[in-house]
Order: sequence, then C-alpha cells, then structure tokens
Amino acid sequence: MRVTNQMMLRSTLRDLNGSLTRLQQSQTELSTGRLVRKPSDDPTKATQAMSLRTSTRVADHRQRAAEDASGWLDTAGSTVMSGLDMMDRVKELTVQASNSGSSSATSRTAISSELRSLRDELLAMANTRYIDRPIFNGTAAGQAYDPTTGAYLGNAATVIREVAPDTVVQVNMSGEQIFGSQSSPEGDIFAVLDRLATAVANGDTAGVAAEHANTDAARLRMTEAVGVLGARAARVEDIRGRNDLQKERLLQSLSEVEDADLAQSLIAVKARENAYSAALSAAAKVIPPSLVDYLR
Amino acid sequence: MVSISSMYTSLSGLNAQRKVLDVTAHNIANESTPGYHRQRVELRPIGVSSVAAVFAGQNSRVGGVDIVGVNRLVDQLAENRFLAETGAQGGTTTMRATMEAVELAFPEPSDDGLAAVLDDFFGGWSDVASRPGDPATRTQLLERAQTTVDALHRADADLRTISDTAKGAVIDLASDVNAIAGQIAQLNKAITGSANAANDLSDQRDTLVRQLSELTGADPRPQGSGTVDVYIGGRAIVSGNFVFEVDGAGGQLRWADDGTNVVAPPSKAASLAATINDVVPRYRTMLDGVAAQLVTQINTLHNAGYDPTGATGLNFFDPAGVTAQSIALSSDVAGQPNKIAAGAPVLPGPTAPGPLDGEQARSIAALAGSATGPGATYRSLVSTLGVEARAAVRRDSIQGTVTAAAEATAAEVGGVSLDEEMANLVAAQRAYEASARVMSTIDELLGTLINLGR
Repeated sequence: MRVTNQMMLRSTLRDLNGSLTRLQQSQTELSTGRLVRKPSDDPTKATQAMSLRTSTRVADHRQRAAEDASGWLDTAGSTVMSGLDMMDRVKELTVQASNSGSSSATSRTAISSELRSLRDELLAMANTRYIDRPIFNGTAAGQAYDPTTGAYLGNAATVIREVAPDTVVQVNMSGEQIFGSQSSPEGDIFAVLDRLATAVANGDTAGVAAEHANTDAARLRMTEAVGVLGARAARVEDIRGRNDLQKERLLQSLSEVEDADLAQSLIAVKARENAYSAALSAAAKVIPPSLVDYLR
Repeated sequence: MVSISSMYTSLSGLNAQRKVLDVTAHNIANESTPGYHRQRVELRPIGVSSVAAVFAGQNSRVGGVDIVGVNRLVDQLAENRFLAETGAQGGTTTMRATMEAVELAFPEPSDDGLAAVLDDFFGGWSDVASRPGDPATRTQLLERAQTTVDALHRADADLRTISDTAKGAVIDLASDVNAIAGQIAQLNKAITGSANAANDLSDQRDTLVRQLSELTGADPRPQGSGTVDVYIGGRAIVSGNFVFEVDGAGGQLRWADDGTNVVAPPSKAASLAATINDVVPRYRTMLDGVAAQLVTQINTLHNAGYDPTGATGLNFFDPAGVTAQSIALSSDVAGQPNKIAAGAPVLPGPTAPGPLDGEQARSIAALAGSATGPGATYRSLVSTLGVEARAAVRRDSIQGTVTAAAEATAAEVGGVSLDEEMANLVAAQRAYEASARVMSTIDELLGTLINLGR
C-alpha cells in the first residue's frame, strides 16, 4: 500500500478526533452524572427512565392523596372520640337522674340544662371541618347540621381517596352513620338528648329510662364509628409506609437505569485521557519526518 | 564513434530531467491542495522505433529521450467510489443534524420535558379530587393545563422551525448547485481548449463534481476530449458547456426549465427533502396524536362530569383543537376554575353529585398511569425518536469510516508522497548531472579531435 503524508495526516487527525469524542462522552457522563441524557443515548433505557419518572410522579400524587386521607381520618376519629367522652358524661347524668327520683326540682333542672349544653356541644362537634371542609356531610357543601335546628344538611355520598395503585379508601362517614338517622323512629342522638333533657326536667322517670336505652344505642354506634375510622386510618398509615418504600425502589431503579456509575466513569475518563495523550504524542512523532529531513 | 548527434542526445536528457524536476516541484507545491492528483512525466526513448521498419536498425542516428506528456495519476474506480460515498456522506450528515434537532425538541428523559408537564397536569387533577372545594387547587389545575398546552405548542413550533430551516437550506443549496455547475461547464470548455495543462483543470473540475455530488448525489459521465457531463437522478445538470439550472424556491428543488422536482440520490438535497416531507411531518403527526388523545380522553370524562353547581356537558379542552398546534382550553372552563367538572354522575340517573364530589377528577387523574393515555403515546413517540436518531448517528459514523476509506484508496494512487518526490528530485538531479557530464565529455572528445587536425 502506498502511503502519503497527507493520508497519514488525515487519518491521524481522524483518530485523534475520535479519541477526543470518546473522551468528551465520558466527561459529559461524569459531569452530568447521567448515562442517558437524550433518547438516542439508549432508546430502551430512555423509555424505561421516562416510565419510571412518571411512576415516581404518580406515586407522589398518590402519597399526597394518602396524606390527605390520613389527615381526614385522624380528624374524624379524634372528633368522634371526644364525642364519646361527652356521651360518658351523658350516661353519668342519666344514671344520676334516674336514681334520684326524690331529688329536688332544682337539681333536675341543673342536670337537664347540662344535658342540653352537651347536646349543643355534640352538635357543634358534628360540624367539625378538615381544611375548611365539613367531614360528616358527605359531598354536600356548607355545614353538616343546622346549628340551631340540628337538621342534617349533608348527604350519604362516599368520599374516596386513591392511596395506592388500584387501592381506594373511603375517608368519610356521614353524620347519619355516626349520630343516627333522623328518619328512624327514635331519631338521631340530638333528638334523643333533647327528649332526655325534657324528660329529666319534667321528672318523667319512664321517659328517662326509655331515652337511657336510646343513648346507650347511640353510644354504641359512635364506638363502632371510632373503630371503623381507626381501622381505616391504620390501613392508610400502613399504605403510606409502603408508598414510601415503593418510591425509594422507583428512585433506585431510575438511578440504575439512567445514572452513570461514578467510579466506572472516572476510570473511563482517565483511560480515555491517557489514550488521547498517547495518540497526541505518537502523532507529534510520526507526522513531521519525511525524506526532506534527511536529504541535504 | 562520436558524433554531434550525441550532443543532442544528452540535450534531450537535460530537457527531460528539467521537466521531471518541474513536475516534481509542482507535485511538492500541491502536496496539500485539495483534489490534487500527483503528476508524472512520461518519457520514451527516441530511436527504438515502436514499429519494425526497414530503416530501424543499429545505424539509426536518432537517440535520446522524448517527453511523451505529463500524466495525472488517477485510479478511476477508486475515484468513482469516493465520489459516490461523498454523496452518501452528505446525506447521512444532514440527516444526523436533523435527528439531533428533533431530539432537542423533546428533552427527555428529564424533569422538565413534556412527560413531566403531563404528569404534573394529572397531578393537578389528583389534587382537585382531594380538594374539590378549594378554589386555589382548581386554579392551579387550570394553570397546569395551560402549561401543558404551551408545551405542546412549543414542541410543535420547534418541529416547524426544523422544517423551515431545511427549506432555507434548500434555497441556499440551489444557488450553490447552480454556481458549481456553472464552474464545471466553464472548466469543461477550458479543458477542450487546452491541449497540455488539462491535468490541473481536471483536478479542479473533479473537486467541483465531488462538491456537487455531496450536495445532490450528482454523478459524472466522462465524454470524449476529457470533459464530463454531470447528471442528477438521470437528468443532466451539466452537458458540455451547458448548465441546466435548478431552483429551490419554497424549499423544493426543481429543474428551472420545466419545474419538475429534482429526484436526488442519497445526498444533502435528498436528506433535506426527507426532513421537510417525511421526518418533521411524521413527528408532528405523532405529537398531534398525543394532543388528540389528551383532548378527547379528558373531554369525554369531563363532559360526563358535574361542576359544583350541578352543570354538566362542559368541555375542558376546546374540542376543535385536536392538534399540537391548535390545542387550547375550552371557553367553558378557561379562567373559570369553578366550572371544572370534578364530580362524577350518580347512577342510575345520572344525577348531579354533591358539590364537593371529586370522583370524576380522580378518574381523569388515573389517565396518568394509563397504558392508552397521552403519556404512554408520548413515550412511544420518544422511543421511536430515540431509535431513529440513534440509527441516524450510527449510519453517519459508519458512512464517515467508509468515506474515509474510499478517500484513502483514491489517495493511495493519486496522493503526493513527499518521500517519493524527494527521491524523484534526487534521481532527476543526478540524471541531469550525468547528462551534463556526457555533454562535456563529448565536448572534450570533439576538442581532442579538432586539435588532432592542427
């Protein structure tokens, strides 16, 4: 093969350029810390990385929904718990009222007015809000109960949060589920307390006994609600933990797919740098000489 | 026996070696001239007749060396291959640039590409599902929707810019092609006119033909008397002294005389045409697919949903805008966050749900992870783009190697080797000295002879 100086010059330049391109590739890998920077770097990995990024972002949205569900359920649970405390006091007062049939009208009036104020407090509690939204009124707007008449203004609709892929949790219970239906024969807890207070005030022993049974039933319903809300809160809490783990795993996979291995990239850069400087020094030695240098 | 004719014999040697020195100097001077082919003096002894004849014999008084001519050393096969590869190289390099530009319009995988914008948009729906009564959350959703619309507009505009740039390049290319073709025609004329110095003109012309090939995939067809006609896709652009011009108006390369399209083989022109007529429209169609899915899938759900006041049948996106260029928020919801239909119909009925229902928003948010949603369509676009761009880059780098090899093969014959020229220089110098020596020897001999007569 006949070799000319221009051929050598050109092929040396081309090889040097190739060497420099590879060096630049490793350097970009190192400086960006990423193996896949554009789709053509590795089409399969790029699509994988996009899917993983989307999954990570969707996981974030779900986690936000799960946090909302937790907040909602915790608020609802603790509200009904404090309602149960009030019901304890109601029970105490009812027993007191039924045991002291001989007690004075003054003490009956006192018990009766305390029962009324407990009823009002319970009604106010039934209008509890979580981030400015009443939690016991289904999907209706405004308050759950009319603060003066005690009429239920909400509906029976469910409120659902998607807390994990294909996992939904109902975060609400309607006021009627917790405090009793207004359309049932005995009415809801507020109606029962109303009648109880009246019976106590009137010294109506039979009435007190009847309403006593009704308050016990209402109390049981509230206890059950606390159980349901607590169980759901625990489930959401559990799912949130798993979501965190899942996100960790997603981020780890994403890193495995698109991040450069730092040690490997460093070594590659070093190796290519060496190759480049070796090529440069070889080129410097090879290119100048020709017969011109030796003929005088 | 010494004769005067021997003087002329050595004179012919001196002349011939001087010519060799001239040509060597020319070769060395043009060592790095692009397209230059080394030249060689063809010598032939005088006196040995190539034809057997009655007077051809020992007694012939003719002697010395004759300069037949100065030849250009060209391996025509290798040159043709180099020419074809140069055209192909022009094509792959242009296509690579196009694909790299298209990739820039889709910066993926990243946290600020269209994929992230779409995910954020669906995240907005998820937030509205959690807080259907919160005006701030609803407003944020509308803003994210506008961001998505803007991102689609921008990606589409980027693609159109690539096409427009290519159209501008075609116009420039047409004027380049005409200028080069004109020069080739002129050189053809000059070559026909000159008997001797055609070597350097041929080199110049071959270089121009190669430039033309890179631009349009033109192929030369050698004619008699050293001229070439040049054809593009089977139609002559240069024929002898005549040029058939092309026109690039509107980004389409046409023959100026009858307006038919130029059918260019693989070359810059062919790749520019592919950019304008294939690559960009194809990716725009795919992007339109993403936009259309976004509009129809969300509108279908949104239409069935209810806003807090119980109104239904509202569009989220303008149903008329189903391309990436024309997608827009519908007038039903634009600027009216309260009109977002987050509530799902209550079945059977359907009747309006409570004003704080967020179930329909939740259904829309679920499109984020859907295998048939706009996100998945966009991912398949990026995947197609990645594969195609990678192939374009590979093809270009392979073509680069092939072109370099073809160039090296051609240079093996035609390139100037300084070593060789130096050797020729020394050899010619010595031969010149020897011829001069012969001349002075004959001079002495003749002197002796003349003195003998005194």
